[in-house]
Amino acid sequence: MKNDCAQWKDQLLEAALAGSVPAPLEDHLRQCTACTGELAALRARRERLDSLLPLVAQGAAPSPDFRARVLAAAEAAGESDGASPWRAWVLGAATVAFAAAFVTLFALRSRVEPRVPQAELATAQKLAEWRAPTDAFLKTPGQEILQATPKLGESYLPVPGKTEGED
Amino acid sequence: MDNWIAQTDAAARDAGFGARVAENQRRVFQIAYGVLGNRADAEDVAQETFLRAYRKFSSLRESEKFRAWVNRIAFRLALNRRRGLSRRLTRETSWHALETGESVDGLRDAEQRVLLDRLRNEIAALPEKLRVVLQLSIVVDMDANDVGAVLGIPAGTVRSRLHAARKLLLEAMK
Repeated sequence: MKNDCAQWKDQLLEAALAGSVPAPLEDHLRQCTACTGELAALRARRERLDSLLPLVAQGAAPSPDFRARVLAAAEAAGESDGASPWRAWVLGAATVAFAAAFVTLFALRSRVEPRVPQAELATAQKLAEWRAPTDAFLKTPGQEILQATPKLGESYLPVPGKTEGED
Repeated sequence: MDNWIAQTDAAARDAGFGARVAENQRRVFQIAYGVLGNRADAEDVAQETFLRAYRKFSSLRESEKFRAWVNRIAFRLALNRRRGLSRRLTRETSWHALETGESVDGLRDAEQRVLLDRLRNEIAALPEKLRVVLQLSIVVDMDANDVGAVLGIPAGTVRSRLHAARKLLLEAMK
């Protein structure tokens, strides 16, 4: 390519990639053998590139036992994953069963307990409020003496001391 | 009875999942391989992708949904792995593959292998945005819509970046 053809470089690349040549470049190619040769070389390189590019990745494949290994690992992961939800379910069910049993027992117990008729309740109330008639005696004068517990050496009643000259 | 139903469900699930792995494994591996350039790491990423898909399989039973999901996850996992292992990571060439007795690209022609290695180097030297689009576009069975879905960009942007990448490669591969 000549120095003054440098301006066509990008268009030559585009033409090689796209396959079509824009009119201004076509006009230039009619009178420039260097650029015509360059375009032919670029097209050949593009074809080689197109044949090589898929090989960069598409030839690559996992090992033949890859699928079997993935399935075995998935199965193992499934078992370990499955264990914890199962335990959680058992624990949850046990908790619910315990709560249900507690509620049922409480309900049964309240149902079994004998219901006391109102009349009997009133009688029981009266009995609780009853006071023995002898309670009245405790409120008589001198009850302090009866209720007091004297200490050793003390008297039930305060005894006045002897005064001087009494003898 | 319940146990039998659970076992039947699990078997059906495993059968469906196995079929999905068979349909997608080559593409998923190639997505990871394109990013990592290393067979062992690509297989690890592909396996991790399918294990994640297995855990979510109840919501990925639809073929297209599964396909789009594994494409995206494989790409992200591969990028994460490349960031994490950038020091250790070695990009295989077709020569390395030949030494291990495995044919990564199936090529027999030595000259073509040299060209392929050179092309891989040129691809590695592309700007990130263009390289990623090119690497995903050359994966088997991936069109501009698939690539756009993985990268979260419109298909038109994929096409224009792919064109730019090919133009740079055409210039570089003199």
